[in-house]
Amino acid sequence: MGADSLISALAMNPAVILSVGAILGALIPNGYAAIRRPLMLVFIAISAFQLDRLGLGAYGALSFFGEPVTMLRIDRLARLFAVVFHIAAALNIVYAWRSRDRLQDFAALAYPAAAIGGVLAGDLITLFVWWETTAVASVFLVFGPGTRATYVAGMRYLAIQVLSGVVLLAGIALVYRETGSFAFGEIGLRDDAGALKASGLVMLLAFGIKAAFPLLHNWVQDAYPKASFAGTIVLSVFTTKLAVASLARGFPGTPELIWIGAVMTIFPIFFALIENDLKKVLCYSINNQVGFMIVGIGFGTAASINGAVGYAFANIIFESLLFMAIGAAVYRTGTSKATELGGLYKTMPLTMIFCLIGAMSISAFPGFAGFVTKGLILDAAGEANAFWIWLVLLFASAGVLEHAGIKIPYFTFFAHDSGKRPKEAPPEMLLAMGVSAFLCIAIGVRPEPLYALMPYPEALADYHPYAAYHIVEQLQLLLFAVLAFAALILVKWYPAEVASTNLDTDWFYRVPGRALLGWATDAVRAIWSLLWRIFSTRVADAMTRVYAVHGPEGALARSWPTGFMALATAIVLGLALLIAFAA
Amino acid sequence: MADHPHGEKPGWADTKTFRTALLGVLVIAALAVAGAGFLPQFQKEHPHFKVEGLGAFFAVYGFVAFSFIVLAGQHLRKLVARKEDYYEERE
Repeated sequence: MGADSLISALAMNPAVILSVGAILGALIPNGYAAIRRPLMLVFIAISAFQLDRLGLGAYGALSFFGEPVTMLRIDRLARLFAVVFHIAAALNIVYAWRSRDRLQDFAALAYPAAAIGGVLAGDLITLFVWWETTAVASVFLVFGPGTRATYVAGMRYLAIQVLSGVVLLAGIALVYRETGSFAFGEIGLRDDAGALKASGLVMLLAFGIKAAFPLLHNWVQDAYPKASFAGTIVLSVFTTKLAVASLARGFPGTPELIWIGAVMTIFPIFFALIENDLKKVLCYSINNQVGFMIVGIGFGTAASINGAVGYAFANIIFESLLFMAIGAAVYRTGTSKATELGGLYKTMPLTMIFCLIGAMSISAFPGFAGFVTKGLILDAAGEANAFWIWLVLLFASAGVLEHAGIKIPYFTFFAHDSGKRPKEAPPEMLLAMGVSAFLCIAIGVRPEPLYALMPYPEALADYHPYAAYHIVEQLQLLLFAVLAFAALILVKWYPAEVASTNLDTDWFYRVPGRALLGWATDAVRAIWSLLWRIFSTRVADAMTRVYAVHGPEGALARSWPTGFMALATAIVLGLALLIAFAA
Repeated sequence: MADHPHGEKPGWADTKTFRTALLGVLVIAALAVAGAGFLPQFQKEHPHFKVEGLGAFFAVYGFVAFSFIVLAGQHLRKLVARKEDYYEERE
């Protein structure tokens, strides 16, 4: 590839513009750290402008070892994610405006940059590069607080993320063998005859690790809550949604995803119910929410893909808002544990209101962002006549209301008074939360701009979220669920929060896996020392024998008598005579 | 019920009046939407599933699902809950 074409392809890429911003920000001397975040915002504005200026199309076509690659493909699917990633990155930068941590600030822009590069990748090689960059850039956020616990959690996180990248690379090789191209389009799990494809399986696994499929999910709860109050918010947005975008592109209409997604919507509900750390509750909520999106991708109709990615857009806004509200509580009180919080509404009323708006959005109350997007996924289940999936999604919706709609605001701002009287969140946090809350309501009240941004706007022509039946159905579900909550509180059947660590799939590699590794290390060490002992004993024995023969007292060191020499010569001559005779 | 440290007055959300009013509004709104479900103008013209036409299906399902999640889900603690410093001791 020519150097000029490479440079121009890089310079036009919004992800590269943001990466340059992240690097320039990191180079600013500590004495001028206050200008870092404004500079980062400027770069986000330039990148957003560039995204808008380019418009839909494929750019940056290059040749990689003779194969065409497209570093930048802005289609409707990619654009929707790129837009919401820009919004989220900007809000997160405003939220932690006072941060003066060079590495955290770098990651807060380099990581969204990589995720944007990933969703805009037109080929699998470019996707792989950005895929791995998200892993490396984001781990600095996990390392943020700088304790041993965050270090080991960060290493576990990095191992899993890099594993996803390695699996992706294997998948890319298999796709290339099959199609002879690096183009990133629909991959599919089965071939035309209906048999499972190795390439599809491996790619699905790579995407599934990052999307936190069931049993592959626990890196989210392990790593995200250990980051700083602001780092967790940044982390919550990008990795899983990059995977959702990749699944929507590579595996639309894959029926297996319907069941995987359905399981994802259900099991986190129960873990979230018993979890005491509210940041972890929200991490389980990420799993649950991504489950809805994956179900939508699995149905694979134009309307359901709209629902999946539209819900991803809305979710990024309201899930971030919930993380921001809990982050503000952590910033002011130093804890995110339900047992240590409560009663904060008295002194943090604005944060409480923003949190309630996020809670109502994620619960999909009419008038908020969740309602106008989630309905598309439930409708897709209806259209497909998938009764049990439809029931599961409704059940999961009641679960969302329980852990994200009620538990988060209730245990932070109401419930048992913790006696803590912190100050209201600082202005920059209120601003970020206020804008997020505004977007939640704006999308809810006027969803048309979001609908216009969706991949298949024509499929939305007959969709009316505010149809009377839809409002009544949804309000019945939600209000009676809230009524159940009120009843359980009144009869004191709602379980009290308990300070505990709840085991999940990370237990397998943190306890028995670790023990197995320790045992394997000890075994290797023991075998090595045994082999070394055997080897060194044999060598020592051999040396003793050599010394015995060749040493000063050895047989070969003696002076030989003349008679022995004459005898030896006679034997050699005799042998020579016999050989000559025989020959 | 909340306790009130520093001898301060209970906050607005902790007063009995607020709680009763909130519960009242909730019950009235819930009953209203449950009733509306039986009116033809609030029903789907072409429901995907029969249960959607039962009037209060979503109300019953929401109440039962929420109650099940809370009442059954808490028993998961018996299986997976450990001391808070469980991992600190092992890592």
